[in-house]
Amino acid sequence: MYGFLGPNGSGKSTTMKMLLSLVRPTRGEIELMGRPLQRSTRRTLLADTGSLIEAPPGYGHLTGGENMRLVQRLLGLSDKQVNRAVHTVRLQDQLDKKVRNYSLGMKQRLGIAMALAREPRLLILDEPTNGLDPAGIEEIRGLLTQLASRGTTVMVSSHLLGEIDKTATMLGILSNGKLLFQGTRDQLLARSTPDVLIDSSNPRHAASLATQRHPTRLDGPTVRLSGLTQADTAAAVAMLVHEGIGVHGVRHDTQSLEDVFMDLTGGGGL
Amino acid sequence: MGSVQAEFLKLKRSMSWAVVIVLPLMAVITGTTNTVVSGQQLDDGWKTLWLRVIVFYGLFPLAVGVAALASLIWRVEHRDGNWNALMGRRVSSLEIVLGKAAVLAALMAAMQLVLLAGTVLAGKLIFGLPGFIPSEYLLVSVIIVLACLPVATLQSALSMLMRSFAAPIAIALLGAVVSVGLLLAEINGLIAVVPYALLGRATQLGTGYFADSGSITTGTMLLLIVASAGLTALTVVATAAGLDRRDIR
Repeated sequence: MYGFLGPNGSGKSTTMKMLLSLVRPTRGEIELMGRPLQRSTRRTLLADTGSLIEAPPGYGHLTGGENMRLVQRLLGLSDKQVNRAVHTVRLQDQLDKKVRNYSLGMKQRLGIAMALAREPRLLILDEPTNGLDPAGIEEIRGLLTQLASRGTTVMVSSHLLGEIDKTATMLGILSNGKLLFQGTRDQLLARSTPDVLIDSSNPRHAASLATQRHPTRLDGPTVRLSGLTQADTAAAVAMLVHEGIGVHGVRHDTQSLEDVFMDLTGGGGL
Repeated sequence: MGSVQAEFLKLKRSMSWAVVIVLPLMAVITGTTNTVVSGQQLDDGWKTLWLRVIVFYGLFPLAVGVAALASLIWRVEHRDGNWNALMGRRVSSLEIVLGKAAVLAALMAAMQLVLLAGTVLAGKLIFGLPGFIPSEYLLVSVIIVLACLPVATLQSALSMLMRSFAAPIAIALLGAVVSVGLLLAEINGLIAVVPYALLGRATQLGTGYFADSGSITTGTMLLLIVASAGLTALTVVATAAGLDRRDIR
């Protein structure tokens, strides 16, 4: 599962649209499943791709079941494929209801079922949890994990890191149309330099000394130093000891993925 | 073909059926009421009744009705994520455009059937006309349906490109106005290539109004059929090519 993250307006939807050839890139090329994606080849490549971009699809004047049948006819799918997709999103009891009367969560699930019925190798979902309540978000998350474990490559976008950082095996972070990071969760954490926190006998004096070399902040009794390498940390402690300050504790601040994400994207959109 | 079947499924509970039934019935009711209220006789029997129903209907309401139907069948695609879903599948642009054209053709045929049935009912029940409507009007009806296709596919293209429901209908009305001018001026070269004028010409077939001689000749029918088929094919191919190049924003 590929988690595609970025603040609102960073270009996630546009990137996904380019992957589906809905929008042509101004520059560059796209390869999908090892084959170049162009307007002339897109239909064959899209046969292996399921997608849900921006708002979930669905015809409001038809029931959920009728919408599924429509996709079935359009793509020549079997009853079994449609039933499996409907059961996967657990929509089997809501099929007789008009889509106009569906809740947003039900519409999202129908949209996913419509994308899933063709049994794609690649599933591209744009903010599928947008507007859902926590239970709905949890449900979609479980569903995507289940799909990925069955061998479908799932690319899912979100502007909320918490929604996908636990389920995604790969993360891509986009800001202002630029890919800032791509890699695993651990690689992302490793990229950051957490603050060094020092507890001492004279925090005020320690802070005034440290601030001459590093960005420093006094958090109550703790001196917080930012952007230190290991050598910097050793030098800072030596300097404080040399100045006669009793150093009680030196530790790294625990940094959440959110902090890293915020650092990378300049704090936008969270 | 899957896309045609899918398009027909979308017609369920669609407003399109209201247009298909109400518009031609209005033409029949207007023609009948005018005749009854003015106290005129149907001098030429079925032919006079046909004229009263078709002449005005064929000039404006029909083109506007076709435009409304095209707007209706595309309206659902402009909602929610349907555009993205439609273009994000393996179904080709040509299949998408052909599916819409097939549905429109069926709706046009249904609309003409309602017009015919309404005219027959009015002739028998209100005016007590003898026999059945002459078979030439059945033939004219087939040609009218064929001549609806270039307008339908052109309007389909406009409604596909424009999110607005009303703008394509306004264009159809404008097209109908221009086509009346062309019919009055009898500029046959243009009538054969302007879809709205071609439709207007087909509806006047055998009426003796505008550019029509009053008699239905094989030559005129052939011209109308060939022009309709040619314009329809051209519009469909051009629309599909346009859709293929278009970015879905």
